[in-house]
Amino acid sequence: MRDPENATVEVELPADFDDFWAAGLADCACYPLDPVLTEMPTLSTDTVIVYDLRFTSYGGLRIAAWYAVPRAGTAPYPGLVTIPGYISEPTVPKEWAELGYATLAIAPRGKLRSNDVFNPGYPGLLTHNIVDPNTYGYRGFYLDVVRAVEVLLDRPDVDNLRIGLQGSSQGGGLGISTAALLPDAIRCVAAGAPYLCGIMTAPTLTRSYPYEEINEYLRIHPKDVDRVRETVAYYDGLNFAPKVQAPTLIYLGLEDDVCPPETGFALHRTLTCETTLHTYPHCAHHAGLPDVMRVVEDFLAEHLTPGR
Amino acid sequence: MTFDAYWAAVDEELAAIPGRPVLDVVPARTTDEATFSTVRITSTGPYRVYGNLSIPKGDGPFPGLLVTPRYGSVNNIPHPNDRSRYVVLSLMHRGQRLADEGFAAAYPGLLTMHVDDPQTYVYRGIAADCLRAAEFLLGLTEVDPARVAVTGDDLAVLTAARRPGFSTVRVTDLLFYRAMEARLKSCMYPLEELNDHLRGGSSTSALSTTLSYFDPSRHAPAVTGRTLLAVDDAEWCESLLSALPDPEVYQVTHLDGTDNDFLDAWLAERSGVPAMSKFVA
Repeated sequence: MRDPENATVEVELPADFDDFWAAGLADCACYPLDPVLTEMPTLSTDTVIVYDLRFTSYGGLRIAAWYAVPRAGTAPYPGLVTIPGYISEPTVPKEWAELGYATLAIAPRGKLRSNDVFNPGYPGLLTHNIVDPNTYGYRGFYLDVVRAVEVLLDRPDVDNLRIGLQGSSQGGGLGISTAALLPDAIRCVAAGAPYLCGIMTAPTLTRSYPYEEINEYLRIHPKDVDRVRETVAYYDGLNFAPKVQAPTLIYLGLEDDVCPPETGFALHRTLTCETTLHTYPHCAHHAGLPDVMRVVEDFLAEHLTPGR
Repeated sequence: MTFDAYWAAVDEELAAIPGRPVLDVVPARTTDEATFSTVRITSTGPYRVYGNLSIPKGDGPFPGLLVTPRYGSVNNIPHPNDRSRYVVLSLMHRGQRLADEGFAAAYPGLLTMHVDDPQTYVYRGIAADCLRAAEFLLGLTEVDPARVAVTGDDLAVLTAARRPGFSTVRVTDLLFYRAMEARLKSCMYPLEELNDHLRGGSSTSALSTTLSYFDPSRHAPAVTGRTLLAVDDAEWCESLLSALPDPEVYQVTHLDGTDNDFLDAWLAERSGVPAMSKFVA
């Protein structure tokens, strides 16, 4: 019988973890963000203005996003970056703009609107160059989210002291990594069913995708297991967690077959910032949806004070 | 054009185009339990679409399961639990990843692509893709013709209605059902695409006319298999339920672990295979 709350999930911290990510951030800094906004009249409504947003990220790639701003109230607004799940495309975040946030819904590299250069496919992203931390598919993907925050930091209509991150599954995992890489910029993080935590443990606990991609990779490349473990340690949320300073909401489904709850509990134990944990019995990867969204909205409102 | 004539024309187009399927085994996904292959097959257009096909090892025939595509760029690969119990085929319709040579669907955008004319509406082709997949699955010798199921959203209803042979239909989501009313409930996608499209100058009558060909309530009377409809609001779904012959209703709990297990067990019982939870306790 599983005991998710007390299960051991261990990840080795690479000795050069900080240098590795500092190098990535330094690469990004070589490229001006060069944000370009194009208003989208048919996507805009009486309450929200929607823009197509493009900016430059790691390696010089142009990254797409939707940017939605409330018509009501007065700028600067609190900023929110919403991060998509593994198989989903970012939707136009009108619902968050209606709540008072200037919201950037990012399509990191490989998503449909950002896949001109990098397109590992789905399935495929999780194991793309997984034997090499320097060229692993998630390298640029993680940094794209960091760059999205930097876009908001530069926006005159955003209060750069009130920027939050929201996402579930992959969006939850990248909320943790982004908050760790930009500890001074992020005011709060809402992370549901966080993926990419305990990356080598998770495939031993489930046969669901996307973690099943690792099982498949190792089925035909069994000798690569050590190199895979070495790579994903640089990307594991458990290694980012101690660097997060922003208050963090974690919510978990206790029967989550996609992101095993053992890994979510391990993340919660590893975070040293102010945390709030909600667990949902009999819930799987939805982790309390739709009811949990009220919890998320209240958490973000507490820390980002829309309408202030 | 009448509803019947519209869909008869789709059937005629499909009948005139050989599928010419090509299967390629995927070693990484092939296990002691099942052999996994990719499938490429021609649908109307002509257009090559993609499927994931898994066939259990051992003596068949096995129950069949067609997974119609969801709204989105990616469909999940069939879970190993399903691969061990069913001949399972999951379809990537035209424009979805792996079926996007020549046409990559936009999100948002797919739901309203060419929607002002029923003849050119993208979902006319997508429906044909589902029907082609159904024909392929139903024709496999490994499939027990008495135990073939289809699962998905409205496309599962449409497929079961137009291709006799499905003994079981499991409907877990709705896209086209009362879409012109549902679009007014929130600004959430994909139905918000309809509002976006109207802001661009289209007419409600044009949208209503096209979408009416896809409303599952109009297809439901032709469904012959036992049908389960998972619903959040049974009252909202009343017209669909009344159109389906003797449907069963599952009131979703939003405890998705519970819901997933119920839906799995319902299908397994009707297919003569053991129920399996994706979450191993």
